[in-house]
Amino acid sequence: MAVIDKNNPSPDWIQSLRKRFRCEAEIDRVLTRKLRRRSGPAYKPVSLDAMCASLQSLLDTELKTPFEIRGPRWLSGGASKLQVAFTLDWHDPVAGRTVTPMVIRMEPAESIVETSRLREFQIIKAVHGVLPVPKAYWIDAEGGHFPYPAIVYGFAEGVTKPSGSLSNVSGLGTNFGAELRKTIGPQFIDHLARLHTWDWSHAELSSLDKPIAGTTQAVEWHLNWWERVWEEDCNRDIPLMRLAAGWLRENMPAAERISLIHSDYRAGNFLFTEHDRRITAWLDWELGHLGDYHEDVAYTTMPFVSHTSEDGSTLLASGMMPAEQLYETYERASGLVLNLKTIEYYQIFHAYRSALIVVACGYRPTRNGKTHQDLLLNWIMGMGYPAMGILRDQLERVA
Amino acid sequence: MDIRPEIQIRSMIKAMIDVVLPAVDAHNKLAQEQSRLIIATLQLIAKRLPIAYRYDRDELERYVALAQELTEEFGPANAGPAATDLQRLAAQGADILKRAQAEPAELEEAIFELRDRVSALVGEVGAVQDTAVKARLRKVILAASKTELDRERALVVDMGFEADPANVPAPIEMQLPMVGQRHSRSGHAGECSIQETKT
Repeated sequence: MAVIDKNNPSPDWIQSLRKRFRCEAEIDRVLTRKLRRRSGPAYKPVSLDAMCASLQSLLDTELKTPFEIRGPRWLSGGASKLQVAFTLDWHDPVAGRTVTPMVIRMEPAESIVETSRLREFQIIKAVHGVLPVPKAYWIDAEGGHFPYPAIVYGFAEGVTKPSGSLSNVSGLGTNFGAELRKTIGPQFIDHLARLHTWDWSHAELSSLDKPIAGTTQAVEWHLNWWERVWEEDCNRDIPLMRLAAGWLRENMPAAERISLIHSDYRAGNFLFTEHDRRITAWLDWELGHLGDYHEDVAYTTMPFVSHTSEDGSTLLASGMMPAEQLYETYERASGLVLNLKTIEYYQIFHAYRSALIVVACGYRPTRNGKTHQDLLLNWIMGMGYPAMGILRDQLERVA
Repeated sequence: MDIRPEIQIRSMIKAMIDVVLPAVDAHNKLAQEQSRLIIATLQLIAKRLPIAYRYDRDELERYVALAQELTEEFGPANAGPAATDLQRLAAQGADILKRAQAEPAELEEAIFELRDRVSALVGEVGAVQDTAVKARLRKVILAASKTELDRERALVVDMGFEADPANVPAPIEMQLPMVGQRHSRSGHAGECSIQETKT
């Protein structure tokens, strides 16, 4: 049996994967880059001073007027990227001389989700005015200034969970409490409806391939993406994952409408201000792509982003409301019709993809010391087994 | 299960060196010393863990040999009840050694290869058009996955990712079969009371 050394991938193996799994061009680019760099050095800690020097270099290129970087500090949060907050005293072309709080978002050497900064930058810029998002300022797409690719965007006020509340890492299972969810819940759905009904066709989204409506193209590209990642990253193979991949391919639904999909739409990925209970920013657009709106809606009902109500009687999808109520609210807000069979398909897809990301993509970079928080990735791998439990039960139900 | 001690320990060392130690107050000598000891201890564990089983087997082998030599030289005729116990324990140790020949790495490799080929077979059968064949395959794989996931979920249940606390699998200690066990040790590590158990 030929053994593939995934920690030192050969050019032939990389090429065979690219040929076997046809992905969007930008996805192919970042996945290929990941494999070509894999045998390279582990992640080395980057100091705050080094981050500021990189930022200085980027801004020297981008800005023609004097500026000053102030108060840099590390932010905790996401499992996949490094983030530094700072304020910039600069001449904003629109506002004139001003001081703006900003955030640097930079990749580690290899991430739990290997994605495109260019795509993330374009999407944040494009949806500005559609949804509350930070303003995207600059991009270092290839790591010409920073040690790794990075973007700079505006700092958004707000918190990911109510003060004093508990949740697992990354905001999974956040409980907003009975009062807060009454005002956050409708915004949560309204924003999703706005995103899915927005006409993206005139936006600058050149790093996203455009699938054809009425076909299975969007979901097929997506399956190719994640099946390829499974091949690239998994350690021990898992027969259930192979079975799931086969089922997903056999049952691909056509997307009647092509929408911009956030693809990780959940608590932990939006900020809100506690004093007025308003969602102030949607973050983490790195998995964004064009596809079927059912994908995002199905994700909001997954058990690992949900929890039971305080009296234990009701499962609250995304910690907001029962799934049936969420569907009704979404249909009313968007005018789009939800097909429950397609929702079920994407629930299976999400159980598959979530398990894949945490088990395979959590393992491989950690195995090679490639991130700034390998220990957190190790911990998050624990989510993969309940996710596979959900996947197994769902596959049994549809058998 | 890919959450393995060797990777976890390596990640802990990295977190200590890259993040925690630089943040420890340089004037707090005790905290500095303890942090460095944690790193050194973890590095030692990481180095020794791969040979722990081999070491134990070697130790048992040496003591079985010593016991045999001693009981031949100083049998029940020359010693007290200890010699009789020693004869019995040497035989028991020899039996355990016979059953403990494979290296943990061999065990892991065998699992790895079987998983790979089972998964390949799932792909091959999945590619055929016969729906009855595929249905049979699905049934077998889903049943095997249930057993596997009950164990894996039990292993990680303390990480807090189970959405429904009322639906967690049985503790892993209850799920794993006790193959070939003749004795059970009671109490915590470091204690040495041995109780006879029926098998």
